[in-house]
Formats: sequence, C-alpha cells, structure tokens
Amino acid sequence: MLSALIIDDETPSREELKALLASASDIEVVGECANAIEGLAAIHRLRPDVVFLDIQMPRISGLEMVGMIDPSALPRIVFVTAFDEHALKAFEEHATDYLLKPIEQERLNKTLDWLRSDAQPKAMTLPASVSRLTQIPCTTRNKIFLIPLDDVEFVHTDQSGIHVSSHDRSGVTELTLKLLQERTALVRCHRQYLVNLEKIREIELLDNGSAEAVTHTGKRIPVSRRHLRDIKSQLLLS
Amino acid sequence: MLDEINHIALIGGLMQQMCVYLVIAYLLSKTPIFSPLVQVNVRLPGKLVCYTVFSAFCIMGTYLGYQIEGAIANTRAIGAVLGGILGGPWVGIAVGLTGGLHRYSLGGFTASSCAVSTTVEGLIGGCLHLYLLRRHRADRLLHPMSVLITTLIAESAQMLIILAMARPYDQAARLVAHIAAPMVLTNSFGAALFMRLILDRRETLERYSIAFSAKALRIAERSVGVLMQGFNEENCMRMAKIIQEETGVGAVAITDCEKLLGFVGVGADHHLPGSPIASPHTFWAIANNEVVYADGAAVPYNCSVSKDCKLGSCLVIPLRGEGNRVFGTIKLYEPKRKLFSTLNRTLGEGIARLLSNQLLAGTIEEQKRLLAQSEIKLLQAQINPHFLFNALNTLAAVIRRDAEAARQIVLHLSIFFRKSLKRASSDATLKDELEHVDAYLQIELARFAGKLNVDIAVPDELMPTRLPPFTLQPIVENAIKYGISQLIEPGRIRISAEQIDNVLAIHIEDSAGLYQPTPDGDGMGMNLVDRRIKIRYGTNFGVSVHCVPEHSTRVTISLPMVMEPVPC
Repeated sequence: MLSALIIDDETPSREELKALLASASDIEVVGECANAIEGLAAIHRLRPDVVFLDIQMPRISGLEMVGMIDPSALPRIVFVTAFDEHALKAFEEHATDYLLKPIEQERLNKTLDWLRSDAQPKAMTLPASVSRLTQIPCTTRNKIFLIPLDDVEFVHTDQSGIHVSSHDRSGVTELTLKLLQERTALVRCHRQYLVNLEKIREIELLDNGSAEAVTHTGKRIPVSRRHLRDIKSQLLLS
Repeated sequence: MLDEINHIALIGGLMQQMCVYLVIAYLLSKTPIFSPLVQVNVRLPGKLVCYTVFSAFCIMGTYLGYQIEGAIANTRAIGAVLGGILGGPWVGIAVGLTGGLHRYSLGGFTASSCAVSTTVEGLIGGCLHLYLLRRHRADRLLHPMSVLITTLIAESAQMLIILAMARPYDQAARLVAHIAAPMVLTNSFGAALFMRLILDRRETLERYSIAFSAKALRIAERSVGVLMQGFNEENCMRMAKIIQEETGVGAVAITDCEKLLGFVGVGADHHLPGSPIASPHTFWAIANNEVVYADGAAVPYNCSVSKDCKLGSCLVIPLRGEGNRVFGTIKLYEPKRKLFSTLNRTLGEGIARLLSNQLLAGTIEEQKRLLAQSEIKLLQAQINPHFLFNALNTLAAVIRRDAEAARQIVLHLSIFFRKSLKRASSDATLKDELEHVDAYLQIELARFAGKLNVDIAVPDELMPTRLPPFTLQPIVENAIKYGISQLIEPGRIRISAEQIDNVLAIHIEDSAGLYQPTPDGDGMGMNLVDRRIKIRYGTNFGVSVHCVPEHSTRVTISLPMVMEPVPC
C-alpha cells in the first residue's frame, strides 16, 4: 500500500487525479492541499510515500517547494504540469517522474508501476536551482505569507514551533532550523536560533562567556559560547 | 575755343553717352555676372566681381567721353561711385584708381587731376557704404536717391580737384565752368538709373523665388500624407492632380518602374493608368537614375502611345527611395504650343524629392504596422499552450461530474479560440473585446473553482467604442497569471470602463497587488498592448498601472473615444 498526497491549487485538477488514482487499489490518497505551504505541513505531518505535485502554484511553485521539504521527510515526487515540463530539466536525474495534464490513465499506470517496483525512496540530491531558498513561507493564525530571506532577522524554535522574525512581522514556518541553516545564509548562533548577520547591529558579551546579538530593530538574540567565535569571525570577515 | 562749346550739345552728348552706357549695363544685368551686384557685397568673391565690373564701366565711361580741349567730359564717375557703394571703400578706391590711371594714360592737362579725383569719387561711394553699414541701414545703399546725391557730391568734388590741381589754372577754371553742370547732372542721373537697373534685377529674382516657394509650399501642404498610404493608382492619381493644378503644366504622370500609376491633364484619354511604360525617356530615367528633359526641339519628344497626342515636351524625374534606388518616376508635360517654364523644371525636381521622402516615410509606417501585427501573432501564440492544457484538464475533471457544465466550457473554449484566431488587422469594439475576455474568464472560473470572482461593470453606451483587437485579453490574462493565481486565498477581478472627456478608460483591477514592473520580461503582454496603442494613437494613450502592494493592482487602458459607425 502506497500513501499519496496531492498538492494542486486547482480543485478540478485534484478531483481528476483522485478519480484516476481510485482505480489503483494499492494507492491511498491520504490528503489534498491547495498550495505549497499547506503541502509542506501535510508532508511533515502525514509522511506520505509519494506526492503528486503541481508545478504552477501560488507564490511557491512545486519546484521551489521540493527544496523546502525536510530531507528526512522527503517523499517521492511526481510532478504534474500542464505545459512547462521544460522546467523539470533540472530534476531529470533526481529520481522523479512527471505527468502532463490532462493525465492519461496508461501514463499514470506506468508511473504507479515505477513507484511500486521501487517502494523505498532513495536519498534525493536536489538540483542547485532549488537548494537555495529566497523566501520562507510562514503562517499565523489566519494568514499565510512569505518573508523574503533578506528581511529575516532571525529564526528560533520553541515548543510551539519554528518562528521566523523580520523587522515588522513574524510567523511560524514548517521549515526546520537544520534545513534553513543548510539552504540559506542564516547562521547558527544558538542551539535554538539562526541569525541573519546582515541584521546584527552589535554583539554584547556577557560574563559567562556567551553573548547577545542586538538586531537593527533592537531585538536581542542569545549567542551561545559554542557559536560565539564562529559568529565573530564571520562578522569580521563579512 | 572753349567758348564755342555748346552747353546744350554737351549735355545731349553726355546723355547719349549715358544711354549707351546704360544699355550695356542692362544687357549685362541679364547675365549671371550681374547677380553678385544685386546686393551689398561684404565677401571677397563678390567684391572682386564688383571691382572688375565697375572698373570696366569706369574705363568705358572715359572712352565714350567727349574730347574737349585736351580734357574729357565723361561718365567715368558712375562706375567709381557705384563700385564704392556696393563694394565698400577699398573696392571704391581700387575702381577709382584703375579708372583714374587709365585716364592718366590718355594724357591732357587734366590727366593727373582726373586720376586723383576718380579715386576720390570711389572713396566717397565707399564712405557711404561704410557709414550706412555701420548704422545697419544697408538697405538705403541701394536707394537710387542716395546714389544720386552721392554722385552729385562726388562730381562736385572732382570739379574742385580739377580746379586745385590742373594747370594752367585759368584754362582749368574755364573748363570747369563749362563742363561742371552737364557732368554733375548726367553722372548723378546715370548713377541713379544704373542703381534702378540693379534694383529691377533684384526684384525680378525675388519675385521668381517668391512664386517658386509659394508653389512649392502649396504642393507640399496639399500632398501631405497622400502617398504615405501607399504607392498605388488611387493615391498617385490624387497626387498627380494636385501637382497639375498647382504647377499649371499641361499634364502630370506618376509611374513606378513598370507601369503608369497616375495621369492627369492633356492626353489623359490615351495615357491610361495601369498601362505599361512606353516612353524611351522614362526608361532612360529609370535605368540611369537621372533627370531627362525632352524639350521637343533639341531633344525630340513624341508621345509613344498616340500620334495625335498634343503633348510636345516632357520632363522625367526619377523617384528615389532607400539607398537612392529608383522606384518610379514623375513626369511633367507641356503641350506642343507651350514652352516649359524654368520654374516648373526646377519645381519638378523638388516635387520628386518630396514624393520620395513621403514614400520613404510611408514605408516606415508600413513596417511599424507589420511589426505591430507580428507582435499580435506572437501574443496569440504565447497565449495558447498553458491556457489550452489547463482548460482541457479542467474539462476532463468536469466531464466526470457535470456534463452540462463541461459542455459550457467547450463552448466558451471555442468562442475564445475563434476570437483569438480572428484576423488582427481590423478594429474591434469594446463589446467584442469583452466577449473575448468573458469566454476566457469563464474557463478560468471553472479552473479556479471558488478561488476567483469576476465582476464586469461596463456601461452599455460604451460598448460600440472601437479599439485595437487583443487589447483587453492580455491585460486580464496578466491579472490572473501574475495576480489571482498567485493568491493563496480567493481573489477578485473587476473590469470597468468610463468615459472621461474624449478618452475611454478601461480599468482591470485585481485584488492581489503583486504587480512587479518588468520592462521586457513577464509583463510582455502588457508592454505589447501599450506599444500598439501608442503607435496607433500617440503617447498620450496607453496602459498605466497603479499597484497597492498586497492589496490591489489596477491597470488602466486609455484610448481615444471612437465609436463604431452606426450602419445606415
């Protein structure tokens, strides 16, 4: 049994794919999402085996979204697109498949055969084009939005989730600190904090050998002893 | 013996002499040598001509003079004074000196005094020249009255010099008593008449150029844009008619390199537009890219179409386009009984240049139009694939649950493509454009089910307004593609139109507010629409964008109000 997630912003498109997948008894559609942000949360929550991912989606395309999935949760990706399969060139060697809309049943069956035959997903190395993030998708209680990386002051984690702060707003993101550290210019300054060095105004050294970074907007971020030397050298260099 | 000099006879003689002098001057005024003399000369070449001509007149004045007792009663002063007036003091002195030395060489008891006085006369003319020029009254120089007075003064001065220099004094005094009055009078009148001659010549030249420019300007004015609309029979006929009316020549023809395109005037019964070129002169003009003038005498002209043709002379001027390449000719004809005026010959070449330029401008217009058209094609091609496959995919889904809704989508799709494939050359009305957009939006509504809201509010009375086709759709498509479809929450598109004075403003507003100005990138559709409108109606019209980030983007298309003509 393969669990599948459908991420597509067009309702008819999702309906159609669901209807097509219904004919395969060993595929279970565990969820549907209408955009990449919901999609990320669902992947992390549901851990599906395969994601049918539309490319044309609001704000974050399917391609960009792949770069935001935590590598440990990375399912197998089947891109679905109406026309821009050329955009998939970069993915050709990365153990993915794609389907063209409208989807032919036979073509879909081939994809399903491939998924069944190789049920254990391989570690996927991402093409460079999606492995650098330029914005971080965030949610608040009632809104979904994107914070451009250049605006981010710091990211931190607590019991309620991973929080992204810019000078004027903050939100919760699905992206892990580890992933952000790998795929952005944010720097680890504490076990629970990443900081944007461009936004630091000063660093106040504390008695116990740790420090506090003060951002341009006056927010204080802890810098642990372990990371202080690293931060200092990077600041001097940059 | 001096007592025997008859005063009346002397005046008569001098007057006769002056007449011969003026006749020669008159004949000379018909030659090109004279043209530098019709104005005040400030530059060296003009001054040289001035010097040469007036020196000759000076010497001629001496030769034509009367021998009186070893002295010569003469009209030498005219040359010297006029030389000074028209050429300035140096020319005056030079002319006077030349005339004076010549007089000196002839001998007599007044030889040296005459040489000096003639130089002084030239100088006096030159002084007037200098004085008036300094006071910026050069126009007065050419006034016969001022010339008369100057010569009067100059001749009086000559008499005084003779009295002062010529010896024996008593002989000089007697001579002066006899010749002073006749010489002063004849020379003064002579100089004034000579100046009148110069003025006449000048006025003729001016009249000619005034007539010429007036005609040229009228033709230019009337022919504006005629040939820009195309080098075809209809426009060439119109053009030929204008030229014939304005120049008054017997007939006017315009040809391309193969056939006659327009013919107006004498012989229009057998010179038929559309017939191939027959005249050898025209072939020659086209082949050699040069003007051919068959005056009917030196170069024979015979109509190559009909023996009974009344046309007797012909001027063929090639029309030159890009790279000086001949693309046709313009021909002016005169009937056998009439001569070609020089005016029309010169004008003909000017007209040919005018037409050539017009056609060149027309070609550029045409290229612009073609460019705009090919851009539409590009726009259309750009529309299709994404939209088509998404629409088909939507259709595939809708068929499963609602056959009637699917049928509606198919119908909208066919309306959309039919309108998209329509030839882009003609105009559309706002109603056509809205139908196109509506078909498009109906499909998008099905595709983004629940995420898209559409609101169209265009007053009925604006529906017949004309606008270039494919103006609205690309803008609406942009609003979906870069606006609503990028929204995570549902969005709205609102299309409205209003008339502000004589301008039609169409607003397309989306609730996304995600507009990013991209000069030649993604906003291509919008840029093309803007460019097309500006090419067609000028830079006062076009597309403007007002964006409130994250809230709304409002695109306004402004166009001149042109209503669909009501069929009668």
